[in-house]
Amino acid sequence: MSEAAFSTQPSRTGRRIRRAILIAFLLVVVVVLVLPLTLTQQAADANLDPTTLGIDFAINKSIVRTETTIAMFVALAAAWNLIGGLTGYAAFGNVAFFGLGAYTVGFLTDKQHLSFALALPLAPLVAAAFAGLIGVPLLRLRGHYFAIATLGTGVAVGEVIKNLDVFGGATGLFPPILRHADALFFYLMAANAGLAVVVTWLVMRSRFGYGLIAIRENEEAASVLGVNTTAYKVGAFALAAALTGLAGGIFAQWSSFIDQESVFPIQYNVQMILMAIIGGAGTLFGPVAGAIVLEWLILSLAGGGASAVYAQMGLGVLLAVTVIFVPRGVVDFFGGSSKLSLGYFRRSLRETSV
Amino acid sequence: MAEVLLEVRGLTAGYGAGPVLHGVDLDFQAGELLALIGANGAGKSTLLGVLSGLVPPTSGSILFAGRNLTGARPERVVRAGIAHVPQGRRLFATMTVRQNLVLGAYLRRDREVQSDIDRVVGYFPALGDKLQRVAGTLSGGEQQMVAIGRGLMGRPRLLMIDEPSLGLAPKVVETVIEVCQSINRDGVSVLLVEQDVVVALEAADRGYVLENGRIALSGSARELQDDPAVRKAYLGV
Repeated sequence: MSEAAFSTQPSRTGRRIRRAILIAFLLVVVVVLVLPLTLTQQAADANLDPTTLGIDFAINKSIVRTETTIAMFVALAAAWNLIGGLTGYAAFGNVAFFGLGAYTVGFLTDKQHLSFALALPLAPLVAAAFAGLIGVPLLRLRGHYFAIATLGTGVAVGEVIKNLDVFGGATGLFPPILRHADALFFYLMAANAGLAVVVTWLVMRSRFGYGLIAIRENEEAASVLGVNTTAYKVGAFALAAALTGLAGGIFAQWSSFIDQESVFPIQYNVQMILMAIIGGAGTLFGPVAGAIVLEWLILSLAGGGASAVYAQMGLGVLLAVTVIFVPRGVVDFFGGSSKLSLGYFRRSLRETSV
Repeated sequence: MAEVLLEVRGLTAGYGAGPVLHGVDLDFQAGELLALIGANGAGKSTLLGVLSGLVPPTSGSILFAGRNLTGARPERVVRAGIAHVPQGRRLFATMTVRQNLVLGAYLRRDREVQSDIDRVVGYFPALGDKLQRVAGTLSGGEQQMVAIGRGLMGRPRLLMIDEPSLGLAPKVVETVIEVCQSINRDGVSVLLVEQDVVVALEAADRGYVLENGRIALSGSARELQDDPAVRKAYLGV
């Protein structure tokens, strides 16, 4: 298959604007990536006497924490995009993979006294294996049925784990605390987010990716053309699970305490989907942009009280508005040449009205 | 005697509630244009589904170019050289015509996709200036052309087309059927599934009549056209 057949030709001004946006974006990325190093250096310097650390330190610590959380959601949203955006299967239970990854690291470090470095690589493997296992029956369902089945699975996995004493039961697990590792956790989360984007890019350029898009657009036709739909869907699901499980594994060590509530939160399911859809499901950078903006909003408004309630309401309204007016997401809306942006609607209106 | 391309024996299949096909036998010579006709619900689309691997058979056998394809998955069937143009076109509606055609060559690994797109445009000149159009915005006839073209992109030895005339104006049906004939003349065997018996038998070399999941009649297109039972049941004379 030729790649050229799927490319679009942006106009010259479009290219220039795009380049400017890209440069500004890269600058911001550099600042965001370097910031945690300088902010956490202070903590290392003051290692011997933490009481000398003042309010600045607390603020710096919270900035790094915010960045780490945002990086985590970028990975979750980008991972969801593989199954939800590219393949068109609305998975509502990806938090199961997050929790499984977290519990893998938690169990191995707390109960088996394995080091974090050895435990972490197993988190994505466990999550992907589970996705492969449930994917075969679940991915036979479509639409709402698939969404409900995955939602149920997400809840069930958390409940089962909570009731198993080997995994700490209701008390949870306590991975040994790593001191002064704020920057490390940020870079791990950021690396996973980067990995998720690179994996998405590779998938979108590959034969596998065209197969996934064909499945999304018309599964029966894809099958008739020779796409092994079952294998492809399960593959995309397992890939999403691996990236989500890796995020969970990092999270477990970062928070140094996990229980069912902290690593199987149902609202994560909704949040990662919101981020991907508002940003642009099926696009490369849509879920990234959606995750950054939404999670930043959520964290800024999470002061508790009325503002938190307004934030939740706002998210609901935002989702409704997005789905109605920008069904392909914000990134697509601004990407002038892409086929489902405003320009496309104008063109196709002109063409069909002749 | 020409080479036997497809040999179907005692094929039974259904969707759980009970069989739709009850022991279908079919012989297809290489290079033929074969018409499969029958009323609504006779099992025509199910038979195509079984042949292309979408519906698993419960018994019977499918032999294609010497290979046993009984119960094979669709990707193996496509690799073996059978293309299925499903009923209702089933295009990738939000993609361009060109992308639809490229996806038709999904399992191929050579670099001659562009020349095959040119070949499809050769059959359907109407698509020539519409390659960049979104498939869902085309007329029904043009969509049918894209669907057949997408089937051709896999370079099949056997092209199975399910109800190409569905919902099309008579003039467009004529064009589509004529192209099916010229595809056949260029060496591709064609299995044409039609409810429009007049059109199908006009174009075909031979025909099979499917009734309630069984082959009720078979013969040359002329024989079937003259058969009193066919005339009564399908031609209304």
